[in-house]
Amino acid sequence: MKISGIRKRLDSREIGAVELTKEYLDRIDRYDGKINSYITVCRDEAVAMAERAQKLIDSGNASALTGIPLSVKDNICTNGIKTTCASRMLKDFVPVYDAYAVEKLKNEGFVMLGKTNMDEFAMGGSSQTSYFGGVKNPYNTECVPGGSSGGAAASVAAGMCAAALGSDTGGSVRQPSAFCGVTGLKPTYGAVSRWGLIAFASSFDQIGVCALSAEDAGYVFDAICGRDENDATSSARAKGGSTELIGKDISNITVGIPREFIEDASDEVKEAVQKAAEFYRQTGCNVKECSLPSLEYAVSAYYLISSAEAASNLSRFDGIKYGHRSGLGEDYNALIKSSRSEGFGTEVKRRIMLGNYALCSGYYDAYYNKARRIRAQIRNEYRAIFDSCDVILTPTAPTPAYRIGAQEDDPVKMYLADVCTVTANIAGLPSVSTVCGYSGGLPVGMSITGRPFDEKTILAVCDRFERDFERKECCL
Amino acid sequence: MRYQPVIGLEIHCELLTGSKVFCSCRNEFGGGANTRVCPRCSGMPGTLPLLNRNAVRLAAKAGFATNCTVNKYSAFDRKNYFYPDLPKAYQITQFESPICTDGYIDVIGGKRIRINRIHIEEDAGKLVHDDYEGISMADYNRCGVPLIEIVTEPDFRSAEEVQDFVQKIAQSLRYAGVCDGRMEQGSLRVDVNISIMPYGSEEFGTRAEIKNLNSVKSIGRAIEYEISRQSEILDKGGRVVQETRRYNENHDDTKAMRSKEEAHDYRYFPEPDIPPVLFSDDEIEQIRNEMPEMPAERYRRYTEEYGLSGEDARLMTAQKEFSDFYDSAAASAPEYRLISNLMLGEISHLINETGTDISNVKFTPEAVAKTAKMTASGTISKGSAKEIIDILFEEGGDPEKIAGERGFIMSNDASEMEAVIDKVLSDNAELVEQYRSGSEKLFGYIMGLVMRACGKGANPAIIKQKLSEKL
Repeated sequence: MKISGIRKRLDSREIGAVELTKEYLDRIDRYDGKINSYITVCRDEAVAMAERAQKLIDSGNASALTGIPLSVKDNICTNGIKTTCASRMLKDFVPVYDAYAVEKLKNEGFVMLGKTNMDEFAMGGSSQTSYFGGVKNPYNTECVPGGSSGGAAASVAAGMCAAALGSDTGGSVRQPSAFCGVTGLKPTYGAVSRWGLIAFASSFDQIGVCALSAEDAGYVFDAICGRDENDATSSARAKGGSTELIGKDISNITVGIPREFIEDASDEVKEAVQKAAEFYRQTGCNVKECSLPSLEYAVSAYYLISSAEAASNLSRFDGIKYGHRSGLGEDYNALIKSSRSEGFGTEVKRRIMLGNYALCSGYYDAYYNKARRIRAQIRNEYRAIFDSCDVILTPTAPTPAYRIGAQEDDPVKMYLADVCTVTANIAGLPSVSTVCGYSGGLPVGMSITGRPFDEKTILAVCDRFERDFERKECCL
Repeated sequence: MRYQPVIGLEIHCELLTGSKVFCSCRNEFGGGANTRVCPRCSGMPGTLPLLNRNAVRLAAKAGFATNCTVNKYSAFDRKNYFYPDLPKAYQITQFESPICTDGYIDVIGGKRIRINRIHIEEDAGKLVHDDYEGISMADYNRCGVPLIEIVTEPDFRSAEEVQDFVQKIAQSLRYAGVCDGRMEQGSLRVDVNISIMPYGSEEFGTRAEIKNLNSVKSIGRAIEYEISRQSEILDKGGRVVQETRRYNENHDDTKAMRSKEEAHDYRYFPEPDIPPVLFSDDEIEQIRNEMPEMPAERYRRYTEEYGLSGEDARLMTAQKEFSDFYDSAAASAPEYRLISNLMLGEISHLINETGTDISNVKFTPEAVAKTAKMTASGTISKGSAKEIIDILFEEGGDPEKIAGERGFIMSNDASEMEAVIDKVLSDNAELVEQYRSGSEKLFGYIMGLVMRACGKGANPAIIKQKLSEKL
């Protein structure tokens, strides 16, 4: 059920916050064995939070998210609750601080059901690299849920929470949302503080929301956005109010379709996105073709910079202060070598190798600096597009969810599948993915991307489509 | 063969901020291990650095103190390497765009030493090795202590130039309130890059970097050692290896730590967690206006306007607090040289003897000024001024009151003095006789006797005159 529906039930006392929370916990008990979307379920904490929420409701102090049961991705720090990044390295890590986003939700009186599964350290698009086992797609358990926020998206799709906090570095909220048939919002870089988000690639990372609708995503976003003095890259421009334009006329909006995004998409994706474009045309929007010529370099640039930052961010996991420490190793170098070899999975090691290689003194100009130039170029091309368009419409992924194991042996193929999502991270733009069709029973996603800090326009455009589109529920 | 040394410096200075550079932990020296550590400076997952604006201001002041350009744009980078005292496994520093560039300091012989850059960075922790237990422990108290690194051009050609430069840098930074400059506590650390080349050559030799120098004296000795070590190698037809060497104070030598081949590839890249530091012209001007007068400027003022000798001006400016005290005294009475003489004479003597410093004395600059004024007006003698300073140092108080109560006021009553002189002369008739018969040297001795008999308040000039008349 959507957040607005739950709000009504709670406020009208049709259901108590504790009872509601228990319903969700029961659902997790019943279905998550199949899906594996949670790493940690916080039963006792959730009930205690629900009790506090009920007091707020009873005293007439409820706000939008009071008593709403949400899940939190396991790379977002939660005070006193394990935050593992789905890695052996941090399998027992208990933070002593809440992420800013979690703190804001706690102030609203939300209920945290648990911490969701993901690709290890958020590196991947399948949620199969978790130390705690892979996540399955609620629409077809033989298929991947996408990633890295696969647990977040699956937990929403399977009704195991009302909405979920995820993180999006190159598409990690939007792509699993597309694969699991829900709505996924990646806010503008700087709109949500990264304090407490365990860093993968700091200049791309952004906390986002998986939800049942654009409107729901907006409610959660409004609660967590804003300037946080603990994150120097967070911005005062994010002020909330992202649902303001929902339900308003959008016929004055110009929707750009950058041709490069469609070219490599599969037929079913192409068809669904073209239908959506037609829908907007009929709604009265000005739909026109546009171009992002540097798209062909985007994936390479993204992987070079993000891996370089990741290599550095993950260096602190050396088994000295906390985290996995190997029993092997006579001296410092041997100890960190064996701790890191044992603590990290294959994909994480691959990115660390790639990142360090790109930063080595002899290769820096050829790789890292070139990638920086491409990043600047893509930003400029987006600026040009937004001179004449209000939003752009693209596929979220070139294909729907694929079978588990299908892309395991070909990392480059998997990287290339990020082509539709990475440019929003490269340019720091807000982008929302929603379901625009189904193919073989699996959802197909499209993304609406807008100007910096213009979440309200993309959510309104997204919502307009969702109102006239009938979603299929997954059968568990 | 004798060779020409070529030397450049890298100087790390701890900034005098209240808190660390990226978190709110206190920035202090000493204390129990890991008592000033938080999730941020220990690099806990999910934490982010928060730049201390005061550290940035102090770094800019270091730039002004060393004639640098303070840049309107500077940015942070990450320097990546593994070491157990570095919890994030990278150091946040400024690599591509430092905060200050292109400065200089003039050293002995009027030589100008160019400063290439000053950048901000964070300090690492410390490892404590327990050889008995065979374990190493990490103390993160120093993690995130704000530093600036001052990098000079290889402009030095002697140990003396280097030593003078280091003293002047430490002095300037103390003046500017940037760093306390205590080499022995490690708040100012100097690494010396040194190579040698035949005199007349223009091609620099291969350099060695010397670390662990914790006094100006060590710097001089380490440089002399390196010159002889490298000369010996070249004389034997060998080649100097590019490496980092550690100075050992007890053996007075340097030992290789690591060669160039073992050097890290630091994989620098822009720090994504900290936006660039931007200054407007106004902000830069504002910081410049906060700069106190620097020692070189004070030296000029003291010699040119106050009429102090070069040596006195140098001594007076050596320590800012001392010099500030002098300025306050000089401001309340323009007896510049008399005050200077009291401060560099009796006051310095007492301070050194008792091991205190000027900020802890019991008297005010105004008291010293008053003492000087009384001397100048002839109210007290110079000798009495010294004695009054001694009393001020012991007890504090008002010099005018002291002079009055303890009989330092000079009497100008000639008749009273004449009576005393007559008595002394009659008591020492033999001496008077000797003097009158030609032993003119005895005048001083007789004068002394009279002075003693007259007491502290007598005016020596009048006594001298009357005594001459009577003799």
